[in-house]
Amino acid sequence: MDEQHATKTTGCVVDEEWVGRVVVVSVSGVVDMLTAPQLEQAIRAALDKKPGGLVVDFAEVEFLASAGMGVLVAVHDEVTPDMRFCVVADGPATSRPLKLVGIADLIELYATRDEALSALSA
Amino acid sequence: MIDSTSRADVADAERFARIGIPADAESASRIREEFAGWLERFFGLDPIRSSDLVLAINEALANAAEFAYVTTDRPGTMDLIAHYDPDSASLTATIADQGVWRMPNPGPPARTRGRGIPLMEALSDRVTIETSTAGTQVRMQWAGVARP
Repeated sequence: MDEQHATKTTGCVVDEEWVGRVVVVSVSGVVDMLTAPQLEQAIRAALDKKPGGLVVDFAEVEFLASAGMGVLVAVHDEVTPDMRFCVVADGPATSRPLKLVGIADLIELYATRDEALSALSA
Repeated sequence: MIDSTSRADVADAERFARIGIPADAESASRIREEFAGWLERFFGLDPIRSSDLVLAINEALANAAEFAYVTTDRPGTMDLIAHYDPDSASLTATIADQGVWRMPNPGPPARTRGRGIPLMEALSDRVTIETSTAGTQVRMQWAGVARP
């Protein structure tokens, strides 16, 4: 057992998954100023593959700081109007701060991944 | 420095203090986790309140880590002291650095940045930010903080 790895609890894990032409970038763990660049890189890598839609899934995110919110706004500002982009977030650590600073008014927010996917295929 | 007589690491029922932490992202993240552990241990906060406090503290630490020492040629430090007053059931947190307050750039603000202070305002009951040549001090307060 790698002890150093076991004690590192503040990182994040980012996965990419395709549902048809929609790419889902799902994140678990912590999105703060330390890990936000990792999220941004993963989203850019997904966008490079020219998806029809992008879902950023924060369902497993336990902490979201303004650095992560900045990534969402940057992506929102860059995607072309013909590509749908939405975020999955629900709870005090994610959807609450996104609503408090008005990002929920800018970016579509869904409580579950299923809701996001059906909105994008609609 | 908030109080030069403070011990570097304190976490008891009334006080959480970390003095002279390196002002960087790693430290901000670590101190945030330690502060969250302190809240969990000594207070009976609901998930929303506890999440609000931890994010507000994070944003103050992140601001100090990101901006306080950008114009200085050597890395600086930051301090966090949280104090609980059982009589008024209020919690006060002070985040201080000895750096230089970064004035917002003129012109329209970058949409991807600058949500730290609005978050601190939305997530706490009261925020004051004092800047001087000695550094920046952010003080946030929460009322009605219950013990379990």
